[in-house]
Amino acid sequence: MILKSHRARREESKRSVSNGRFGFYLALPSILVLLALLAIPAVLTIFQSFFIVPPDGVGIGEFTKVDNYLFLFKNEIFWATSLRSIWFALIFIVGSTVIGMAAALLLNEKFVGRMVLRGLLVLPWACPWLIVGIIWKWFADGNIGLLNGVLMRLNLISEYKDFLSDPSWAIWMTAIAATWRQSCLVALLLLAGLQTMPREIWDAASVDGAGIFQRFRHITLPWLRPALTVVTVLNVIYGLMQFDVIFAMTQGGPGSSTTLLSFLIYRQFFIFTNFGIGSALAVALALIALVGGLIAVKTLYRKIEV
Amino acid sequence: MESTENGSSLNLNMDRRTLLKSMGVAGLASAPLLNSGMMSAAEAAGQTINFTAWEYQPDTIKSLVANWSKQTKNKVNISFIPNVGYTAGIQARQRGGKPADVFYNFAYNSQKFVNQKWAADLRGLPGAEKMVADMFPSARSRFVAENGAIVSAPYFSAVHMLQYNKKMVAAAGFNSTPNSLQETYDQCKKIKANGVESPYVAYWVKDFVEEYLHVYLLAGNVQPFDKKGDPIFMDDPKTLDVLNWWQAMYKDGMTPKSVLTDDPGKHTSSMANGQAAFYALHHYFLRDIVESKGPSSGDISQAKIVGTGGKTLQMGEVIQMGGKVTGAKKAAAWDFMKTYGYKDKSGKFTTFQKWAASGALCAPYPGFFTDPKVIAAFPDYMDLSLIKDTFQNASDIVPARTSPWYQGFQAQCGTIIHDLLLGNSNARATANALAIACKTAKSGSGL
Repeated sequence: MILKSHRARREESKRSVSNGRFGFYLALPSILVLLALLAIPAVLTIFQSFFIVPPDGVGIGEFTKVDNYLFLFKNEIFWATSLRSIWFALIFIVGSTVIGMAAALLLNEKFVGRMVLRGLLVLPWACPWLIVGIIWKWFADGNIGLLNGVLMRLNLISEYKDFLSDPSWAIWMTAIAATWRQSCLVALLLLAGLQTMPREIWDAASVDGAGIFQRFRHITLPWLRPALTVVTVLNVIYGLMQFDVIFAMTQGGPGSSTTLLSFLIYRQFFIFTNFGIGSALAVALALIALVGGLIAVKTLYRKIEV
Repeated sequence: MESTENGSSLNLNMDRRTLLKSMGVAGLASAPLLNSGMMSAAEAAGQTINFTAWEYQPDTIKSLVANWSKQTKNKVNISFIPNVGYTAGIQARQRGGKPADVFYNFAYNSQKFVNQKWAADLRGLPGAEKMVADMFPSARSRFVAENGAIVSAPYFSAVHMLQYNKKMVAAAGFNSTPNSLQETYDQCKKIKANGVESPYVAYWVKDFVEEYLHVYLLAGNVQPFDKKGDPIFMDDPKTLDVLNWWQAMYKDGMTPKSVLTDDPGKHTSSMANGQAAFYALHHYFLRDIVESKGPSSGDISQAKIVGTGGKTLQMGEVIQMGGKVTGAKKAAAWDFMKTYGYKDKSGKFTTFQKWAASGALCAPYPGFFTDPKVIAAFPDYMDLSLIKDTFQNASDIVPARTSPWYQGFQAQCGTIIHDLLLGNSNARATANALAIACKTAKSGSGL
C-alpha cells in the first residue's frame, strides 16, 4: 500500500474539484439548452393546466384552480382513454423488450451475416414513426396486405382478416407496428450492454454446469439490468406518448378503439384550442409515465455493490 | 364589428344574409376597383410575402407563385407543411409568432382564424366584394361569415359525386344510377348478388366521415343545421332513416369491412380493377380512377348523388391573409390572393386553369366553367356541365361547417358514426350523440 502525503492528497482533492468545475462548465451549454427545451415548456404546461388560456395563446387567462383536472376526472372518456393508453403501452413495452432482447442475444452470437443483420437493425429505427404507420397500414391491410398472405400460407387464418377496421384487433395491430420499430432500438441498446460482458463469466458458469437458461437468468439478465432499466423507461415513455403510428394507421378509430391520451391532447390543443384542458391532460399523461417509469426503475434497477 | 384598414364603401354593419344579397350590386359597383386596386401594383412591388401551403402538387404551387412574382416584382417565400398535421402546424406558427402572410386553410378553420385575429377580414379590399359576387350563390357563405366578414378566398372547390361502373349497373338490370339512398342499397344488393363482394366504397375514415354525414343527410332531404348553427337534424325523423340506411350499408356488407380505415387510393384501385361498382367522393376522383388504367377504368362514369333532397355536399378549402399584414405588404398579399383564388390582372382564371389541368379541381365561379381553357383542361370522360349543374343547382355547403366551433363537432363525429356502423349504437342514440357533440363543440367543453 502506498501512503500519500497530506500535501499530495490535498493537491489531488484540489485537482478533483477543479476537474469537476471544468466538467460543469463544459456541460453548461447543454444544461441551458435542456432547460430551455424541456424544463420551461414543462413548467409552462403545468402552469397553464390551472388556467383557461385564451385560444390565441396570448396571455395567461383566468385562474381556475383545479377545475381543469376536475373536468377530466369526472369525464368517463378520460378514464376509458387512460386505460386504453396504459393497455397499449403494456403491449408495446413487453413486446419491444422481449423482441429486442431476443434480437440482441442472437446478434451477440457469432454467425455468418451477423454484421449485415446488425446493420439492418438500424433501418426500422431510422424510419419516422409516421412512415412506420403507413408501412404497417399497407402490411396489415384486410384485402391486399402481406400479413394476411403470410398468415394464410401458414394456415393460421382461413380467410383474409381486416385487422384495422376490427376494434378488437386494431389496438393490437397498432401496438405491434410501433413495437416493430422500438424493438430495434431496444436490441441495439441491449446488444451494446451484452458486448461489455466478459465472456469468461459465461465460460466459468458453463464449466460449473450451468445450462443456457440458468446462465441467461443468473448472469446475462443481472448484467443487463442497468441497460434494461433505461430501455424500459424509454419504452414506457414512447408507449404512452404514441401518436404518429396510430394516426397513420387508424386515426384513433374505428370508433375510439385506438384513441389514446395523446389524441385527446392533440384535439384539445389544436381543435378545441382549449390549452387549459390540453395542458391538464398532458400533465396527467406525464404523471402516468412517471409512475410507469418509477415502477420500472424500482423493479429493475439494483445498485451494484463493489 | 371590425373594419379593415382600407375601409369599405359598403355598410359594414350588415349581416351575412344582407351582404350576400347585396353582393351582386356591390360586385358591379366595385368592378372598376378590381383592376385599379386601392394601392397600385407599383406601390405594392418589392414586397416579400410569406406563403404557407400544404403539400398537394408542390411543383404546381411553385410555378403559380413564380409566375405571380415575375409579373409583380414581389418575392414569395413558400413554406410547405405536410397535409397530415397541417392544422397543428399552422396554429403553432401563429401562436409562436411566425404567422404567414397568406396561407392555405381548411374551410372549417377559417372563421375561427378571423375571430382570433390570425386571419384578416377581407372586406373593403379592392375587388373582394366582386369576388364573392362572382361566386355561385351556393358557395358564397363559405367565404362570408355570419357578421358579413369576408374571411377567405377559394383555394379549390369540389362536389361529392357518385363514380359508378356502367357495366355493373347495367348487368344488374338498372338503366340509371340510384335516385335515392334506398335505391343505392337495392342496386348494391343486386350487384353483390352478381358477384361483386363489396359494391360500394367511400372514404369513411374517422377524420373524414363527417363529410358523408352531410352528403347522406342532404340526400335524405334533411337540413342538418339551421341558420344559427343549431343541429335541427336530430328532430327530423328522416335523419333516423338516413342513419339506419348507413348502418345497413356497412352491416350488410355493401361496403368492405375495411372501409373504416381505407384510403381513397385503395378505393380508386377497387373501382379501376372492377372490385366495386360505386364510389362516393369528390368529383375529381373520377380522373384518378380512369387514369390509373385498370381493367375497369374505361367503364367508370360519374353521376350526381341524387336523393329525395336533390342536393349533395359542396366542399372546398380556402386561402387566408394573415391578421397582422398591413400597408404595402397587405396590398401585395391581396393581389397574390386574388390571382391565386380568383382572377389574375387580365381577368383570367389563370390559377384555376392550372389546377383544372393538373388535378381536375374546380373553382366556385360560374365563369370558371365557361372558360375555354378550363373546358379544354377537363378530360372528355368528365362531364363538366354535370359538375357545373351540381355546383349551381344541386349542392349545399352547409354554412355551419365554417363556424368557429365546427371543428370540435367534426372531431367527435368520427367516433359516433363509427360506433353506429360497427353496431355499437343505433340510429336514435347516434342522432342524440351527434346533437350532444354539437353542443359540447359550441361550448368548447368536449373531450
